[in-house]
Amino acid sequence: MLCTGRKVERPSPIVYRWDLDKTYLRSEFDRFRDLVKIPFEKPEDKVTVPGVVTLIRNLRRVARQQKREVRVYFISASPPQIAKAIKEKLALDGTEYEGITFKNQLQHIMRARFRNLREQVGYKLTVLLRQRAEFPQEAREVLFGDDWESDPVIYSLYADILAGKLRAEELPRVLDLLGVDPELASEACSLAATVEPVDAVERIYINLERGSPPGLFEPFGPRLIPAFNYFQSASCLYQDQHLDLDGVAEVAQSVMAEAGLSPTHLANALADICRRGYLHPHVRDTLAMELARRQLLPPPLRHGVLARLREWVRRQTRRVAPLPRLLPPHQPRIDYIQLVTHWRERHSAPNNSQQRREL
Amino acid sequence: MPTIAVDAMGGDHAPLEVVKGAAAISLETQIDVVLVGDEQHIQAVLDRVQYRPERLQVRHTDQLIGMAEEPHAAVRAKPRASLLMAVQLVAMGEADAVVTAGNTGAAVLACARYFRPLPGIRRAALASVYPRQTEYPGQDQLALLLDVGATIRCEATELVQFAVMGSAYARRISKVPSPRVGLLNMGAEANKGGDTFVEAYRRLGSIPGVNFVGNIEGHELLKGKADVIVTEGFTGNVVLKLLEGVADILSELVGAAARESWRYRFGLRVLESGVERLRSLTDYTAYGGAPILGFEHLLIKAHGRSEARAISNAIKVAAKAVRDGVVGEIQASLESR
Repeated sequence: MLCTGRKVERPSPIVYRWDLDKTYLRSEFDRFRDLVKIPFEKPEDKVTVPGVVTLIRNLRRVARQQKREVRVYFISASPPQIAKAIKEKLALDGTEYEGITFKNQLQHIMRARFRNLREQVGYKLTVLLRQRAEFPQEAREVLFGDDWESDPVIYSLYADILAGKLRAEELPRVLDLLGVDPELASEACSLAATVEPVDAVERIYINLERGSPPGLFEPFGPRLIPAFNYFQSASCLYQDQHLDLDGVAEVAQSVMAEAGLSPTHLANALADICRRGYLHPHVRDTLAMELARRQLLPPPLRHGVLARLREWVRRQTRRVAPLPRLLPPHQPRIDYIQLVTHWRERHSAPNNSQQRREL
Repeated sequence: MPTIAVDAMGGDHAPLEVVKGAAAISLETQIDVVLVGDEQHIQAVLDRVQYRPERLQVRHTDQLIGMAEEPHAAVRAKPRASLLMAVQLVAMGEADAVVTAGNTGAAVLACARYFRPLPGIRRAALASVYPRQTEYPGQDQLALLLDVGATIRCEATELVQFAVMGSAYARRISKVPSPRVGLLNMGAEANKGGDTFVEAYRRLGSIPGVNFVGNIEGHELLKGKADVIVTEGFTGNVVLKLLEGVADILSELVGAAARESWRYRFGLRVLESGVERLRSLTDYTAYGGAPILGFEHLLIKAHGRSEARAISNAIKVAAKAVRDGVVGEIQASLESR
């Protein structure tokens, strides 16, 4: 059963684009020691983020059921030298994909552009724009990233370039502010100039792997959903008709098993994403009921004096429950100059835990 | 792991500091927290801090009891107040203990209204912890003082019950196998303090399992003679406020001295580590809170001025009390008397 939300007249192709590290794989590169270890990791040693494999499998299944062309792409900032291990890992997981891009670090070393080794914005933006040219014009996109580097900025820029919401003179300034290599910036601007405007990006999901405060992402508008786990993402994807109830249930099961969460923890996560305004309360209630039926969320109380008392307390809280937080119905225009300035200020000292804990 | 219901709207700095404290707990521990209060206010704080949503539940209510409200009237007039809802969640088994930094009188009344008293218990006791000197290795740096305001005037039986409950609590929380119990009085002799205290002294000396060390005078409060100090609510409250006042004045005097002359500033600089140690000893935020004893469930009352760290510690104390079976220990001690 699908929830009734936006109506799709004719299913257009759907493209799911995933960042790899910290979004699909639980890569550890907080310390230099971890970073050095990555190239030597065997495929079976690599760990996925809880629920991600099940989510991708179900996104494909539902798209096929909807008779929709579906494509899954991965973008990695890792060098091609570790491609073999990553492809083997994806095969081990049974994750089907249409393409995977690695960053040619060797090229930067050869050209003595060491600054570009850690640079993400120019690299990812050009890859996204180049690949877009290969998709059908009507293809819709859902992007998945994390809060570790600059995925929210990159994906939002890409979405607004596609939608024609970014003024021609704005992009070079933003890329300059972000410290993008001039050559890459110029390539990104040329690619952006060739794009046929289409509002193709439906949603951007940011996996809060680093635990960033969710309010940090408010300036990106309601198109970007910061999610603490893939159960929260799956719930929103259900709301947008990319998943069905079976799909959400499977993701819930995976998250529980892989992250060691209980039904109560899942219920809390569901309430959280609704409270933050990304999930409609009706959808939350439908999910809560169905998942409780499948014993994935705590069951509703039925009998006994205690149950009646609990129900009374629930009624009291429901009676006075505030209106759900209303996010703007449409994606507002983002002032990238201001956003990037603030984003860099806040993101430049991420290892200061006190600063991260509280904005 | 235990689930702790937290009154998100109680305290001078609520909901900001309370929610921040609970958010920190969700990151640092496996404790599940139910925040009871205004959902929108709570979420507004959560949006700006790091937290794990899986470990935080929010129960909305639109009523709260203010710090200055008359407890009886407030409890009667506001049945959906965050404090009362949090206590009810525990009474219904949806949480294991309550933490509040809110109105103390209302907290005691809420417990009396929704929690069943332990068998044989006549009056509840509000405890408090305070720093003092230690006399032997392994002795807890904190002493437990009860009652500090739940029962204004007591009979001998009630003082004896307070001693048994305080002793059981200290045994579990401070890990002192046989805590020393003292009766706060105006003299060390057994015949001091009037009929009630004389009778309490006589009975405490013969109770198995209670390590009664006799009467404690005011000047001995900050020494390590007793781990649990028993008194009636009126005196206990005066003592508690006096101790807090002295700590505040000391801190103020140090600041004033530093402002007065560069020589004092220099001296303080030299003594910095010592002053810091003194400050940390008198810092109530480190201790979290103290329990209301005498019921089948626990409520940990944090200081009204609690900030995030104090709330986090109060939640940890509540979780520890649940995990270590404090109520069971108290019940067993009362039954074996």
